[in-house]
Amino acid sequence: MRKAKILSVMLLAVTAVGCGGSGTPPADAPRKLRFAVIPKALDLPVFDYAKVGAERAAKQLGNVEVIWRGPETGDQLKQKEILESFITQRVDGIAISCLNGDFLTDTINRAMDAGIPVVTWDADAPKSKRIAFYGVDDKAGGRILGEEAVKLLNGKGTVALMTTYGATNLQRRLDGVLEVLAQHPDIKVIETFDVKEDTVKAAELIATGTNRYPDLGAWISVGGWPVFTRNALTPVPKTTKVVAFDTIQPAPELVKAGKVQILVGQKYFGWGEEPVKMLAGIKAGKMPSATIIDSGVDIVRADNVDAYVAQFKKLEEGK
Amino acid sequence: MKRAGRIWHVREASTLAILMLEIVFFGWYLWPDGGGSYHPFLNSSNALLVLKYSSIYGIAAIGAAIVIISGGIDLSPGAVIALASVATGGLLVDAGWGLAPSIAAGLLVGVVSGLLVSLLVIVVQLPPFIATLGAMGIVRGAGFILTEGRYFDVSRILPPGWRPLGIPLDWWPPVVMIVLAAVFQLMMHRLQWGRAVYAIGGNETAALFSGISIGRIKTSVYLISATLAAVSGVVLALVQGQGKADLAMGYELDIIASAVVGGASLSGGRGSVIGAVLGALIFGVLRNALAQIPGATFYDRMIVGVVVIVIVVMDQILVKRGA
Repeated sequence: MRKAKILSVMLLAVTAVGCGGSGTPPADAPRKLRFAVIPKALDLPVFDYAKVGAERAAKQLGNVEVIWRGPETGDQLKQKEILESFITQRVDGIAISCLNGDFLTDTINRAMDAGIPVVTWDADAPKSKRIAFYGVDDKAGGRILGEEAVKLLNGKGTVALMTTYGATNLQRRLDGVLEVLAQHPDIKVIETFDVKEDTVKAAELIATGTNRYPDLGAWISVGGWPVFTRNALTPVPKTTKVVAFDTIQPAPELVKAGKVQILVGQKYFGWGEEPVKMLAGIKAGKMPSATIIDSGVDIVRADNVDAYVAQFKKLEEGK
Repeated sequence: MKRAGRIWHVREASTLAILMLEIVFFGWYLWPDGGGSYHPFLNSSNALLVLKYSSIYGIAAIGAAIVIISGGIDLSPGAVIALASVATGGLLVDAGWGLAPSIAAGLLVGVVSGLLVSLLVIVVQLPPFIATLGAMGIVRGAGFILTEGRYFDVSRILPPGWRPLGIPLDWWPPVVMIVLAAVFQLMMHRLQWGRAVYAIGGNETAALFSGISIGRIKTSVYLISATLAAVSGVVLALVQGQGKADLAMGYELDIIASAVVGGASLSGGRGSVIGAVLGALIFGVLRNALAQIPGATFYDRMIVGVVVIVIVVMDQILVKRGA
């Protein structure tokens, strides 16, 4: 149905162009603010919730239209191209989760110089002129993962790490984990596996790693690859703990089943909601209260998983 | 012809020898320190693991090898794998369809993709590289349009410990791969169709003058390739429990590499189905073993590249000597 609507809109647009712009609204109609919200990738389930949050904020504000567009996969160049296209479209504001902050710095600065306010969310571009960042400090998030793993292991044992090399935020999370583990000499990192953003590869590495290290103390994943499906952790024995980033389903089910001990989740709905509200405020002349706005994290364990799932469902339904 | 037949057998035997050599090498390299009784690499559960994950590539590599033997190339298997997983997963999870029709829909993705490529190659007369490059984009794009970035959690639907026909789920990918490899190996060598595929790849003009229906054979070749990729996608959706538009991203190159390492010549007319499966196993063993060597993460891409070049060079030397 939705696709039919999109096709109808495309046909209408073509017709409007063909009719010499007869479809343009009357000059006295109040113009909506057009905010571009750019996620890192469209194929990561966590960003669906950010979209829900952004659209909810737009609805609440009334005079805002959210344009949700991002690369299909985590492609830095495509994300830059999308950002540049929004500058040329002269949107009223841009909220972006940067795949690579340094790579996007010049483009963000160009948007700011062109008078388009930019805020970042989830993953920052700290060297740019962006007005504010909403999210968690990734290194702090990594530290939390590390600290929770250390507690589960009582300060000793072996751990295997899981990441995707090349993404700035994942590298910072990894740095945070390693910083904590370095303070515990009885904990040995046996390997850092690169899953290359591939959930099948993650499942293969977990199975291979479990086979290679049957006495492994814990898996620490700075992304949600092991918890995006129920099957990836099947080979992991009960003696091996699992600590991972991201809390979307089926991850909480894995906590309930005892396959995962700790999940660290971000404020997925807030990722969309807060930047849109910030941009609306900036356009009304009200600057954000700080440059870095810490969203905090959710830590999900067996004892609070039910409450977390109930709260998440409420947010999902827009309550 | 007899001499040529000998070369094929030598080529398959040499691929098998390389695989065995690889297993022996990593068996030695990963020998447990202090002579412990548990060998992390040479054990049955690890062997199943290699077979299970190699099958995703291996099933599709059978089709890729047939296309390459016919003198073509297929860049779309990765995209077809993803779309088949999306179709099966979406219908199972969102639409509430039964298992059999969902699987059939997944396989239908392959049939439609194969027909599209055939149409582009035979009717529109596009070079296979361009036709399958376009098909890759269309099929991958269709996956993203259907899912809008979401993924289908198939594992939610399937019962835990599910054993279809009494066979554990993990065994299914290798079973499917081995059965399909045996069937297509026989088809390639015992049926007139198989000989026609070799003939077209060897010399298309000569094949045409000898009365072979080029269009029909090529259609069947691309149809088989895409359908086998869809089989891989359906297996992936059921065994890994997910239907996702970005699955198997870039796998087409690994699939082609498996076929080439297994003896398929990119100039056509040469190669084997069994060789392609052995090629997929060579890469499967490599991925498995490198994951067990601390610090090897950064080297795996490079090692895979080197392995492709070394094996193909060895192949050329072998063929020159055989000729």
